[in-house]
Amino acid sequence: MTPQPVKGVGRLTRLALLTAIALTIFMVEAQLPVVTIVPGIKLGLANIVTVYAMFTLGPGDTLMMLAGRIFLGAVFSGQMMTLIYSAAGGFLSWCVLLLLRKMLDHRQIWLCSPVAGVFHNLGQLLAAAAVMKTWTVLAYLPYLVLAGIIAGLFTGVAAQALMNRLERLKQ
Amino acid sequence: MSKNAKIILILLLAAAVLSVGFLLLQREQPASPVARITLDGEVLEEIPLDEVEESYSFTVDSEGGCNTILVEPGRIRVSEADCPDQVCVSQGFISDGTVPVVCLPHKLMIEIVGGGSAFDAAAG
Repeated sequence: MTPQPVKGVGRLTRLALLTAIALTIFMVEAQLPVVTIVPGIKLGLANIVTVYAMFTLGPGDTLMMLAGRIFLGAVFSGQMMTLIYSAAGGFLSWCVLLLLRKMLDHRQIWLCSPVAGVFHNLGQLLAAAAVMKTWTVLAYLPYLVLAGIIAGLFTGVAAQALMNRLERLKQ
Repeated sequence: MSKNAKIILILLLAAAVLSVGFLLLQREQPASPVARITLDGEVLEEIPLDEVEESYSFTVDSEGGCNTILVEPGRIRVSEADCPDQVCVSQGFISDGTVPVVCLPHKLMIEIVGGGSAFDAAAG
């Protein structure tokens, strides 16, 4: 992809705003208690912003926003070790969204999130396998596929609702 | 709904069905569970869980921090860790090969080998 030149304060502001929103959602969600059998599973509410950005701003801006949110999220939560997992998951789901935005239109955003969620979890698991130097962690895969689909449906429907409302606002 | 959307929906459903099927097929009792503790990819210790008569615990130090591992007859868990996320501690006991306990910050892993796998962790 060719690097896009900064086209002005408007773009900068929009990106900064979306990053801040995503980071806020991320930090609030991190405070919620986890209520699943398998540890480490969460809704990933910040991905609502990622999916929304992918369809409205394009892949380059989304990647910058995502990278900013992931890095700041790791800094703010004080868990720098999680950076590699978040980055792996985030990047893989970004790649999948890159494909999906060509395949689906604005009415089918809710369908993107489950796929992105599954690949996000897959990316994290592969990163974990690399760090732990074992494939045993792949035993989590069935759980994470299911979790990715369920959480993705949730965030996907939310992103779709957001999109529909913001489109109406524009008119 | 467009053709692409249908394909994606079907693929998602297939992935979900496969995952559920895989989890259901794992319902077997382990023959003789052995807990293998690995640190940074190297096997640290192997504990045959059905030979454990009394509970005991020990601490594993790594460059990242330390984890206290509690061994009971037939089951094992991480009881304390000095990492911020505490994911390994909140997982509780494992007694079968379904899923390992993994402490990502310390690169520590406890897996059950030598038996089949069962899914009694959710029920018990």
